[in-house]
Amino acid sequence: MLRYLFVRRTDWTVLVIACTLSLSMMLLEARMQARVAWFLQHTLLAPFEYSIGWVDQSVGVFWENHQLRSRLTQLQIESDALQAERIENVRLRRLLHLEERHPYNLVAASVVARSLDRLGGSLTIDKGTADGVEPGRAVLTPDGLVGRAERSTPHETRVLTLLNRDCAVAARIERTRVDGVLEWEFGSQPVLNLRYVSSQEDVKVGDRVVTSGLGGIFPVGIRIGTVARVALDPNGLMKEILVDPAVDFRSVEEILVYTPSDLRGTAPADLFLEEPKPAAPGDSAAADSAAARPATPSSKAIATTQPSGDAAPEKVVR
Amino acid sequence: MKWIRDGVVLLVALVLQSTVLHRIEIAGARPDLLVAYVVYIAWMRGPVVGTIVGFGVGLIQDLDASVPLGLNALAKSLVGFLVAKAGFRVHRANAGVRFAFFFIAMLVHDVIYYAVATDGDLATFAKQMVLTAVPSALYTGIVVVILLGIVEAFSRKLLLADEV
Repeated sequence: MLRYLFVRRTDWTVLVIACTLSLSMMLLEARMQARVAWFLQHTLLAPFEYSIGWVDQSVGVFWENHQLRSRLTQLQIESDALQAERIENVRLRRLLHLEERHPYNLVAASVVARSLDRLGGSLTIDKGTADGVEPGRAVLTPDGLVGRAERSTPHETRVLTLLNRDCAVAARIERTRVDGVLEWEFGSQPVLNLRYVSSQEDVKVGDRVVTSGLGGIFPVGIRIGTVARVALDPNGLMKEILVDPAVDFRSVEEILVYTPSDLRGTAPADLFLEEPKPAAPGDSAAADSAAARPATPSSKAIATTQPSGDAAPEKVVR
Repeated sequence: MKWIRDGVVLLVALVLQSTVLHRIEIAGARPDLLVAYVVYIAWMRGPVVGTIVGFGVGLIQDLDASVPLGLNALAKSLVGFLVAKAGFRVHRANAGVRFAFFFIAMLVHDVIYYAVATDGDLATFAKQMVLTAVPSALYTGIVVVILLGIVEAFSRKLLLADEV
């Protein structure tokens, strides 16, 4: 029997085995699928990822070197000027008895590869642990939140975008402070679904959706998108809220990774973030919470958990 | 030697698919070099190799995907098998035949893929097929036929030769 299957009907036998394996994997529960995927990634995909890194580093190195040399000279001049201003800033803060604000760092990175799957769901960027980019860090653009770093090597990081089933975000309606969990939902357009919002809550089409910081991964107040549709779910208990992402995941090329303040980081953030409101001299609390939102009567009475070691940014991404 | 060549072609296809092809996307449609690679291998090496390669390439895609693990593997295994069975003794050197095979293989792949990915939602499935699958299949067919033509012109050898 086995001889008949493997010698005379090899093609059909191989097909049946392949289909059985595929279907078995599809029927596994999500957690188990993630484990299997993780294991296979570290065996099957390792050579491919190494190749991409090698190609990326090798092909562009000469051109990049030329560009970097000219940029270095320019930056050195700017750096000297900034250093002088920083020293002056520290001196003036001391004079005003202002507490040191929590510094935040955003590491700029370029997208070097995209998901092989047609629905997308992940990106590979050219910064890794050597640059302070570690798994779990929030990834954003000036337009809004992209996702989170999932896996890092010294010079590369895989980023799960919001269009990935494994990247849920604790989110909030900016206007009414209603909390929920944002998850990707398959559709003809990339759509995010804000779940676990009671049918009694006030949510309207056009409301801005931002991170709530409750998940402990994403800093509070980063823009995610706008509400595109609001409806009641079939049982009438919860709202079905579809959110249009602010970021165009297909065309994103430059991103920023939010890193802890004690790690190395550049300061491109200042290009994209709002200026803090001026504080009255001597009012350190006002300065510290310059960009914090005022609590509204409809605010959720839930303590906001910030990522440990990662102070929430005091400024809000536009 | 041919296995090394096939391996190198796969590596090039993987790198191009993940780094360059989004730049030539037109209205959401982009060529799928990985399906094209499975079709090419299945056509040249037969159903056993076609199915195994389809499964392997699909699994690599699945590791990086938002859809259930195994979906790409299933779709590409079936495509590899069907192409090898249907492509036996056809005139592979003909550009029209090549285009038809790549186009139909892409459609078969996408029917399986979107049928599962859309969770049986017929409206979304139909929309995906019309707006994404058919344009992508056309795009892939055209790009692959042109690429094969260019490579064959330079190497002066048929990559997809007729059955001897």
